[in-house]
This record gives sequence, structure tokens and C-alpha cells, in this order.
Amino acid sequence: MQYLALIYGDEARWENLSTGQREAEMGEYTALSQADVTRGGNELDSTATATTVRVRGDETLVTDGPFAELKEALGGYYVFECDSIDEACTWAAKIPAARHGAIEVRPVYADGGEPS
Amino acid sequence: MKYAALLTNNADEVAAWERLTPEEAAAARANEVPKWEALFGELGPTGVLGDGFELDSPTTAKTVRVRDGETVVTDGPFAETKELIGGLMEIEAEDLDAAIAIAARIPVVFTASVELRPVIEH
Repeated sequence: MQYLALIYGDEARWENLSTGQREAEMGEYTALSQADVTRGGNELDSTATATTVRVRGDETLVTDGPFAELKEALGGYYVFECDSIDEACTWAAKIPAARHGAIEVRPVYADGGEPS
Repeated sequence: MKYAALLTNNADEVAAWERLTPEEAAAARANEVPKWEALFGELGPTGVLGDGFELDSPTTAKTVRVRDGETVVTDGPFAETKELIGGLMEIEAEDLDAAIAIAARIPVVFTASVELRPVIEH
């Protein structure tokens, strides 16, 4: 089964890390990207670049910023292929942001995704 | 440019969905499927759609934190917001305006929202 691990963290934190700390964390992220269970994932640009789209009636409403303002923002995600959500949580715990932010683990709907 | 489109659902609608019987949920789902198939059928061949993920209900979420070396897992999504992430699509678009035009056709946009975020290419 596939699980999405949504990575939430304090966006300002990264700016305050030393070069060494950043390199160490990037190394952990790269290692996770290459793990056997990992099927995909992306790093997202900051919430300052977010655009939220809604359509009400005939009107398209475009606003700057994320759909919800949170103290800890979504910064990226991994796609894990695991046998259970518990196993996916074990992998989520290896994500550096788990140590200061939080990882939301969500099962991908069984026949979800793109039709083939 | 590559964008991640975060597809949200209205929290009240998610809660209402949770109260449906399995038969009602299947019927409601069958009602939704054609809208998505129409979108995928039209946009699929244009190559703008990358990977897509429909997520199971937020009630199936678990949130993981590690504090002082200890893993703490709680049930439920990270945040209880008025709109809740229900899916994710990768979109390849020329610019933000083109991405917005695509987002404005994704079925959830009429009752909730689609958040577009540029993907950082490594």
C-alpha cells in the first residue's frame, strides 16, 4: 500500500541553521529519497510562493498564500510503499522534520491516483 | 514549471461523508467519479498531469513526532482546519497562470480549494 508522508515544520527554522546542520539534514533527506520504500516525493517552495484557487459560482478566486495559515507549514512529502500504516510511521519518524515539526501519514486510497 | 496542487475538501463535507453508510458512500463516490474521469481524459493526453494521489479520509491519518529520541504517534491529521487535504496532484505548467487555469477545473475547487506550490527541483 502507498502512504503519503506530509512534512510539516517551522519555515523560519531552516534560515537559522548553520551550513553544517543544513548539510547533515539534507543528507538525511537524500538518504530517505533513495530508500527502498520510497516511491516519490517533492520539496515544496515556501508558503510565501503559495497560491490558493477557489471557484464560487462563475467566479475564480485566486489568493496569495496557503489554504490555511499554520504555525508549522507543509514543506514537502514522500510517497512510501509499506505493508501497514505502522510501518509507514516508522519511516516517517526518520524524517528530520519529525524531530521539530510533525509528519502526517495518510493512506493513499486503494484505487486512487491517476487512471491508467 | 512543476507545481504540486494540494486538493482540499470542506471539513463539514468530510464529516458528512463519514456519516454515510457504505452503500451511500459508494453511491456518492460513483457520482463523483465521472467528473474526475472527464478531467483526466481531457488533460491526460496534454501531458500536464504528473503523479496524483487520492488520500483516504483524514480520520485514517496518523501524525508522527519524535521528541527527545522518542517517537510519538497520534491519531488524526496534523491540523484541524476548515479545509482538509484530500489529495495531491503534480502539474507541469508553463507558468502560474497556466497552473491556476488547470486548478480552476479540479472538482474540489468548487466547494473547497486547490493550493498551488512550486516544486523545488533537485
